[in-house]
Amino acid sequence: MATPDIPISGLFFAFLLLAIPVLIMHKTRLPMMRETVWSFLRMSVQLGLAGIFLTVLFDYNNPLLNVLWLCVMITVAAYESVRKQELNIKKLYLPTVAAFVITTVLSLVYFEILIIQDGGIAEARFLIPIGGMLLGNSLGGTIIAVSLFYSDLRRNENRYISGLSFGAQRTEALLPYFRTALKSALKPSLGNVAVMGIVFLPGLMTGQLIAGLSPMTAITYQIALMLTIYTATTVCVTIAIILTSYISFDEFGMLKKDIFLRK
Amino acid sequence: MEEEIIRYDNVSVVFDGTTIIEHFSLAVCKGDKVILRGISGSGKSTLLKMAQGYTRPDNGMVSYRKHEIDADTAWHIRQETAYISQDSDIGEGTAREFIDGVFAYSANRTIPYRDSLNKYLTLFSLDETTLDKDFRSLSGGEKQRIAIIIALLLERTVFFLDEITAALDSQMKTTVADYFLSHEDWTVIAISHDEVWYRQEARIIPVGGI
Repeated sequence: MATPDIPISGLFFAFLLLAIPVLIMHKTRLPMMRETVWSFLRMSVQLGLAGIFLTVLFDYNNPLLNVLWLCVMITVAAYESVRKQELNIKKLYLPTVAAFVITTVLSLVYFEILIIQDGGIAEARFLIPIGGMLLGNSLGGTIIAVSLFYSDLRRNENRYISGLSFGAQRTEALLPYFRTALKSALKPSLGNVAVMGIVFLPGLMTGQLIAGLSPMTAITYQIALMLTIYTATTVCVTIAIILTSYISFDEFGMLKKDIFLRK
Repeated sequence: MEEEIIRYDNVSVVFDGTTIIEHFSLAVCKGDKVILRGISGSGKSTLLKMAQGYTRPDNGMVSYRKHEIDADTAWHIRQETAYISQDSDIGEGTAREFIDGVFAYSANRTIPYRDSLNKYLTLFSLDETTLDKDFRSLSGGEKQRIAIIIALLLERTVFFLDEITAALDSQMKTTVADYFLSHEDWTVIAISHDEVWYRQEARIIPVGGI
C-alpha cells in the first residue's frame, strides 16, 4: 500500500495555512480569529484522542468492544439530537435513543450481510466508520425533522385541531406535519446525491482513493453507502417521530406543553 | 323534556395566573342557537374549544349529552360535531386535494360528498375553479367558506363556530348566518362580532365583562 504518512513538517505547513484567514480577519477587523484558532486546536485534540482510541480499537478488534463503542456513539448522537431541538431531554431522550439504536443496528446488519457480504459484521474497520457515517447523517436529518414537527405543531395548532374536528384520528391529523418534517430532512441529502461525483468527491471515496483502492471499488462503496444513509435517515425520522409522539400527547390528543424547554 | 347537547357547569379558566373565566354556566339544548359575546381575550374561544376537548376547565365541568367530556367522549364528540376555528390556514395542496383528504380519513370514507359539493359551492358563491387553486393562496374568506363547506359535507348537526364570518363580505355574512340559524334541528354555538348573528332566534350569552 503506497499511502505516504504526512510528516510532522507537513502538518506544520497545514497549520500554517490558518495564518491566511487569520491575517485577513485581522486586516478587516472581523472578530473571528480567536474562535478560528480555538476551534482548530480543539479539533486537533479531539482527533488526536480519536486516533489513539481507534488505534487501540483496531488493534484489539474485539467484537464486544466495537459494539460497546457503537453504543457510546449512539448515546451521544441521540443526546445531541434532543439537546439541539431545545426539547425536554428527560422526556424525549429514551425514544430518540431507541430510534437511533433500531435504525443503526438494522442498517449495519443489512449493509454488512447483504451489501458487503463478507460476514465480518463486528469488525472495527467496518463497524466504526460505517456506523459513524450512518449516525452522523441520520442525526442531522432527525434533528431537523423532529424539531420541525413539534415546532410546526405548536405554531399552527389550529390546523391540527381542524383535522381532529373533521373526524381525523390523531395519526391522520399529524400526517401533514410529518410530511413537511420528512421532506426537510431528506431534501439536503437529495441535493448532495444529485451532484455527487461531479462537484465533489465524498469523504469515504476520497479516503479509499488515497488508500490506493481502485476508483471502481470506491464508487461501489459510495453508492451502497448513500442508499443506506438515505433509507436510514427516512427510517430514523419516522421511528423518532412515532416513538416521541407516544409521550408528547395527552389522552385528548393534545400536544403536552412541557415537552418544550421554553414555554 | 328538551334534549341537552352541551352543558357548562361553573367553569373557570386560569391562564398564567389570571382568571379569565369565572363560574361560567350554560346549558345548550338541541336546536338552540347560542351566540357568545364578549371582548377579545374574554375566553370565548377557550369555551368553544372545551366543547370538543381541546382545552379543559381548571374548575367546573363540561358535559356533552349528559356525559362529562373526558378523553373517551372527546374523540367521540369530534366525530359527531363540527368545530370551525377562526384560523382558516388549515390545509395544503389544492382546495380539492384538501377536501378529498378530509374524506379519506377512515371515519369519513363512507360519506358521499362529491354530489353535494357543487350545491354548497353555489350556495356560498364559490366558483368551481377555486377548487383547483392552491389552498394557501386563497383569500381568508374563501378559506373560511371551504372550511364551512367541509363541515356541512360531513353532515354534522351540532356546530361550534368561531368567528367564521369575520373575513366575508356583508352579503355573504348574511347568507352564512342565515344558513346556520335557519335549520331548526341544528344546534349552534357561535362566536361573532358580526351583527348578522344577533337575531331574535339566537340567545346572546355575555362572556366576561362587556
